[in-house]
Amino acid sequence: MDLENLEKQVSLLEDIHEIECLQRIYAYYFDSHQYDKVVDLFSDNAISAEIESHGVFYGKEGIRRFYWDNIGKKGQTMPPWMIQLLIIQIGGVVDVDPDGVNAKARFQTWLPEVMPSAAGPRQVWIHGYYENEYVKEKGKWYFSKIYWNVTFYTTYETGWLRFPMLGYFPFPDYDAPPTNFHPYPSGYHVPYHFMHPVTGE
Amino acid sequence: MATLEELQARIQRLDDIKQIEQLQKIYGYYMDYAEWQKVVDLFSDKDPSVEEADRGVYKGKERIKKYFIDLLGGGPGKTPRPGWLSIMFQLQGVVTCDISATTAKARWYGMGMEAKPTTSLHEGELRQTWISGVYENEYVKEDGKWKIKKLHFNLTFRTPYEDGWLKVPVVGQTGPDSKILPDEPPTAYFPYPSGFHLPVSFKHPITGK
Amino acid sequence: MTLDEMEKEVVRLEDIQEIEDLERKYGYYFDTRRVRDVLDLFSEHTTSVEIESHGQYFGKDGVRRMYAVGVGGEAETALKDVVARRDKSSGAGFNIITQLQGVVTLGATGETAKGRWQVWLAESFPFAGRFGQYWLHGYYENEFAKDDGKWMFTKLFWNTTFFTRYETGWIVQPIVGFLPMPNPDTPPTAFHPYPSGYHFPYSFRHPVTGEEDAAVFRYRHPMAT
Repeated sequence: MDLENLEKQVSLLEDIHEIECLQRIYAYYFDSHQYDKVVDLFSDNAISAEIESHGVFYGKEGIRRFYWDNIGKKGQTMPPWMIQLLIIQIGGVVDVDPDGVNAKARFQTWLPEVMPSAAGPRQVWIHGYYENEYVKEKGKWYFSKIYWNVTFYTTYETGWLRFPMLGYFPFPDYDAPPTNFHPYPSGYHVPYHFMHPVTGE
Repeated sequence: MATLEELQARIQRLDDIKQIEQLQKIYGYYMDYAEWQKVVDLFSDKDPSVEEADRGVYKGKERIKKYFIDLLGGGPGKTPRPGWLSIMFQLQGVVTCDISATTAKARWYGMGMEAKPTTSLHEGELRQTWISGVYENEYVKEDGKWKIKKLHFNLTFRTPYEDGWLKVPVVGQTGPDSKILPDEPPTAYFPYPSGFHLPVSFKHPITGK
Repeated sequence: MTLDEMEKEVVRLEDIQEIEDLERKYGYYFDTRRVRDVLDLFSEHTTSVEIESHGQYFGKDGVRRMYAVGVGGEAETALKDVVARRDKSSGAGFNIITQLQGVVTLGATGETAKGRWQVWLAESFPFAGRFGQYWLHGYYENEFAKDDGKWMFTKLFWNTTFFTRYETGWIVQPIVGFLPMPNPDTPPTAFHPYPSGYHFPYSFRHPVTGEEDAAVFRYRHPMAT
């Protein structure tokens, strides 16, 4: 094997690692309410963000509205007891396109959280899957598209079987309604971006 | 295109990162099975330190031994009591390791389930708990092997199964031990609902801050 | 390093990445009941599979028998029906397998490997006629081989720590029940759930001292002689 091909392989390994880190860093910033830093992880040409039942937000401008205006309340400090976020990024499968510029990844997340509700803060277990897209610009990987599909969003006291969804939470200024909002027990399966590793299907 | 030397350095860095990730994961596996000596052997001999939850800071290899074997273990050769359960997943590590580095840092989530006493470290009724926190650790490469230099576990919650983190965020954290005293008091014990977030060791991948 | 040595090192890193991805994809396929996709991850030279207290199954044929019954819910002869019906499943039962903390150890030739993972599961399925919600924990110690340049499973072994009801927790009810399947080749080989104190042996060596693991039973049940 020659040097040039070996370098391509090394770059691919580095790309996979960087994307996994990007995903994990996203979670760490999100959990500590640093939403401006989250927005900075997105490309200026970002396509969209869609999380849970909040609706679809298009472009970098939409992403800013989603994370900074809506979730981050434009930098207002939230009472710490009110929100306890813990996104645990699990099981990432990253696939980088042959051009080395675009990539996709699937992750799942467990979230033991405290979320506000009409009845005050509730302790909740949330589960969901990401199918995200990434783009390499100026030598760095950015988020191009975040898509998080909720499996269940249950209260600690009851569990997913008895109370799978705490509510429906579209944000008032979404660009489009939520796509594929089919939480448990619908049996909906979030499609994979990856091919079967052995059969290639 | 990279030169041979540059490529070798990049390969070495990928290898270093993988080794550090495996080191931390194996630390988790040994802790869960109370293999205290094996845990101690993962630490560097030169100025290591450990700080977990509200127990304070233990500095130096001899003190690390005391922390794991005597304090957590209850003494050399002691095995956990029947019904003791400790599971702490080592999750989503972000390793900051530069090319040709001999030191590194990483942030991890620790999340798990336990069955441990809560009125003291060893005595009393076993309670089932969910535990969650953040690690900010430092590593050092000695003789070609990566070892733990500084282990810092910052507790977020440790809640009884029956209650949950909102109702009873912390149970059974009784502060530094009175017989095997730490070298320093706890540096950052502010569990939920304080709103405290242990500062991150990594730089922002885009802005670099 | 020479170019050859560097290439070997890159292949080694790629192998670890591929095995980690393989394990995660297994989890995703299992969770979505894609029986055919799960079966296709196993080598024709598979030695055995064993999960929970279902019993041990030998060979690739054993893999078919276990997954078709366990995951698909039908006998092996009806496998194609299972595959056809998978998209119409009611969804009321589910597994969420999370593949955590994987430590992959490559063999000396680079053609085989072992890996340890922890798994934390949320499940919901019928047991004794009623749907329940469950928390599970367990460990994998799996083996892999590189067949024609692709990594595949040669052995899968999932060892249960606990399997409790959501309403009760692992101290109160560590195991919901004993779940043997109708046709294993042998009974379960190491079913010692909490609170046995059983240590499922590690496939990795100590990263610093290099020592290998010895399985240790830390606690003997008071009724065992």
